[in-house]
Amino acid sequence: MPAPTRLQAHAFRDLERALTRRRLLRLDPRMRGELVLLALLIAGFLFWQVRVPLDGLVRARGPLSGVAAVAGVWLGLATLGAALAGTRHARRLRAAPAGPEWLALPLEPAAIERHLAWESRSHVLWLAVPALGVLAAAAGLLPAWWLASLAAAFAWLLLEAGRVGCALGYRVALRAAEPRPGLPPIERVLAVAAPGVARRRLPPPMWRKMPAWAALAGKDLVVTLRHGPTRRAAVLPLALWVASLLAWHLPGEPALRHVVAFALVLLAAAALAEWLAVLAGSDPFAALRVLPVGVMTVWGARFAWGVAGATVLVAGQAVAARELAPHARQVLLVWSGGAALAIATLGVNYGVTLFPRADVARRMLGLSLALAVAASVMIPLSGWIVLLTAVLHSARRLPRWSRLAEA
Amino acid sequence: MLRVSGLTRRYGALTALDDVSLAVVPGEIAGLLGANGAGKSTLLRTAAGLQPPDAGTVTIGGIDLWASPIEAKRRLGYAAEEPSFYEELSAEEYLAFVAAVRGLDPAAARARAADLLEGLGLANRTREPVHHFSHGMRKKLSFIAAVLHRPPVLLCDEALEGFDAGGALAAKTELRALAAGGCAVLFSSHVTETIERLCDRAVLLHGGRVARVIERSTWGAPPSGLSPLEREFLVVTGPSTR
Repeated sequence: MPAPTRLQAHAFRDLERALTRRRLLRLDPRMRGELVLLALLIAGFLFWQVRVPLDGLVRARGPLSGVAAVAGVWLGLATLGAALAGTRHARRLRAAPAGPEWLALPLEPAAIERHLAWESRSHVLWLAVPALGVLAAAAGLLPAWWLASLAAAFAWLLLEAGRVGCALGYRVALRAAEPRPGLPPIERVLAVAAPGVARRRLPPPMWRKMPAWAALAGKDLVVTLRHGPTRRAAVLPLALWVASLLAWHLPGEPALRHVVAFALVLLAAAALAEWLAVLAGSDPFAALRVLPVGVMTVWGARFAWGVAGATVLVAGQAVAARELAPHARQVLLVWSGGAALAIATLGVNYGVTLFPRADVARRMLGLSLALAVAASVMIPLSGWIVLLTAVLHSARRLPRWSRLAEA
Repeated sequence: MLRVSGLTRRYGALTALDDVSLAVVPGEIAGLLGANGAGKSTLLRTAAGLQPPDAGTVTIGGIDLWASPIEAKRRLGYAAEEPSFYEELSAEEYLAFVAAVRGLDPAAARARAADLLEGLGLANRTREPVHHFSHGMRKKLSFIAAVLHRPPVLLCDEALEGFDAGGALAAKTELRALAAGGCAVLFSSHVTETIERLCDRAVLLHGGRVARVIERSTWGAPPSGLSPLEREFLVVTGPSTR
């Protein structure tokens, strides 16, 4: 008879296979197609950006330099993978990881540790997309056997980077756990993550008559102030907004300040959009769906926040960019206001149409914005076309909200 | 009035509801009885607009739920088997939000919420975040949110499961009062005793179909008063259990 540890390992392998299959099936075919397309576009963009410089490098310094450059890029990607996996793992362990009550099951601590780390590092595989773009760019420029060896090494390195990142994340989570002699470390971590029962009294609510969208928007504010992940998502746009104002006090050329401030406004708008996507994804399905609200009410509440956020971003620039000539300042305000509103609207659209998958909404938002930036780098101003197309395309999906069914 | 006609709902190869038709008239409390997996929750979730049917219609007060969902949901209350909330809000904040979205008069809604919270034993927990609530307290809050606007149609999915005796008593009293005011109540349970005590008619669901409709006359008048155990419970905790 196999040892219990081996049986558990088999059970977890089966579980992980089933989870992977289920998560892929949960994405509707159109979404899967869009994700593949976006992955191809990102890989294609990197191919576009890397091919010519790599060709120049190989011609100037020989194939070994090219191999070193590709290895360096992939090493950077693996390091990024380790950081992402570690951060995610530490965060998940602190916030009670998904799944059953792990501590109630007769499992070897090592099996729980291994499975939770597997969950946390699964997203690292997305880094294979840019790596493939670089691989395609290097094809024909570097010896094939070198590329094959490097690709195999990268695949191994990426998996190991995920493991190392999770090990580090685990140590971070362990440091926050109470010291309990005799208790396995993973049990200490999970026991700390268990929800607290301390009573906390909140201020009395305001019983007011207001439109449904305003009630939703007001509730969004309260949830943001109290809910950790939503609050963190709201802090970033504020920080970037402040940074965009401070950018006008940087030393150096005014043109540089202009560019930095504009870039920071766009980043703040992207962070604002991410917060809106998180907000839309945080609605409890059954609680909201039985109320007499339609998609325009739900969308309108978040769009109102988008408009407010874009207005604050632009108003800040109007005050801070006093050194610009009136015409240049007007262009900056119109440009940054339009972009901020479009980006925020995109976040709202994805949040509402992909409800309740806030993670997918955030990923789609990130990919769409990355694509818009990539398009602008390749052909100036074409990013606007990509952005507005994404806004219109996502808006066309809004009626789907009414047909969403409870999972 | 609630009318369900030819409702069919499939989950892949499984037919959870198969051509179900029933009507609940104003003032009636109809019990939905069935074994686990009989399709009770699917019927109520579909009738509440949480999932679209594959075939059939649901009308709430004569309004087609899937054709005019907002108008229909104004007339509907739904107490879920596994309720979900904005967990960071307090019970009172959640009810204030529900009242605002439903367009209720704030003062009247506040007074009604206070009455219901008191009656169901949640009065001293109203300022706590919902995520601190036990299962029974969450069910009570879901029930209060469902009846806050005195809906013409009320759907209760195992609504009293998890209630303490005092809360269950108060909820039954509220249900009877709503029915007396003209509300059509569809109340699901797998506990026959609850249906016997509360309902005017029982619809027996089996394998996703209406197997039988049993009138109250079949099982007679409900037992009057409290059971000995309920009496003892209320002696210890009082009518409003904190």
